[in-house]
Amino acid sequence: MRFFGFLLLGVWACSFAVRADLPDDQRFPATGNQLLLWVASERGRAESEVQAAQQLAAQGVETWSLDLASAYFLPQLPSSMDEVPVRDMADWLRAAQASGKQVTAVAVARAAVPLLRATASLEPAERQRLCVLLLYPNLYMTAEPLAAPDYLDLETLAGLRVHVLQPRRSAATPWLPGLLDHLALHGATASATVLESLREGYWARESPTEFEIAESRRMDAMLLRELNAWGCK
Amino acid sequence: MKRLLTAWVMSLLLAGGAQAAGFEARASGPAPELKARDLNGVPGTLADYRGKVVLLNFWASWCPPCLREMPSMERLRVKLAGRPLAIVALSSAETPEEVKAYLSRMKLGFPILLDPDGSNTQRWKVFALPTTFLLDAEGRVRYVLTGPTEWDEGEALRVIESLLAELPAHAK
Repeated sequence: MRFFGFLLLGVWACSFAVRADLPDDQRFPATGNQLLLWVASERGRAESEVQAAQQLAAQGVETWSLDLASAYFLPQLPSSMDEVPVRDMADWLRAAQASGKQVTAVAVARAAVPLLRATASLEPAERQRLCVLLLYPNLYMTAEPLAAPDYLDLETLAGLRVHVLQPRRSAATPWLPGLLDHLALHGATASATVLESLREGYWARESPTEFEIAESRRMDAMLLRELNAWGCK
Repeated sequence: MKRLLTAWVMSLLLAGGAQAAGFEARASGPAPELKARDLNGVPGTLADYRGKVVLLNFWASWCPPCLREMPSMERLRVKLAGRPLAIVALSSAETPEEVKAYLSRMKLGFPILLDPDGSNTQRWKVFALPTTFLLDAEGRVRYVLTGPTEWDEGEALRVIESLLAELPAHAK
């Protein structure tokens, strides 16, 4: 009995040792020149995101899908994303760049925080080679009614190209210009597209509209369309 | 592992506690400007409600918690009819068509104002929906609630009654 206890403890410790190198992701290999790193929101990876990754891979875009809450055994809360080890994320980005493919990192909601912090820790040349797509990023430190929003300090993002995809039906949409200003203040080249008739996390809603259901099924097409329109290479 | 679980449970408790705490009292600060139009294009400002307690609700027709609390606001209107309370719902950053589509399904007896460009939402620094401000008869912000509630009962009704109780006897 005691032996099995030690065995389980050993396996558990080993799993942390592995995690210390790179966060545990799901990979969808493809032969094309593009590599998409998809970082799910604090709510975890949804089925539609896996489906989109498979569809992207089928079209030649290799996709690595990362669920940070699951990888680090964190509660599915926005604040958990602030606990993700920045060095692990940076190593993950470097491993992706080492593939030689054009890397685009996509982060959803609060997952934008560890991703941006990791990019800030990269060497300038590494950062300049990266394209970052953020879906309705939550970069607030505090956001209280009647008070100006306070954004997180992201350190330097000089040379980083960031494009924000903001669903129209979101309380954050009126604050999009302020968010872009904040990214620019940290040195990023920031732009945005508003996704009409959609809500935040439309692919994992309890009661989605018909349009949201349809858009969830073609998330791959939306991403490719936005990447092409943005032109980050 | 145990610490992580404890932290998780604590965060859940704190999140629940924050919701239960409900109304946040404010130190009688001046209200930002409200400048909007209703569905008929008629302009509305806070001056229209001077001398009344005002419940100003920021909402959107795509926001499920907003829609969940709307019937209780209508019940509150009926319950306190004849009292100096104005209920105003400001649709945040959506088109008149979206609001009309909702109102065709839900009959409401209080004014609905539009904020298609989100300028009022920005002036009032609203970051989540629904967010509701309770103003006293002098037009000062006295309470803020982020998230939905049942407006015709419990703490919400008590807070509104407390603001109504501040009015001179002839106005109540």
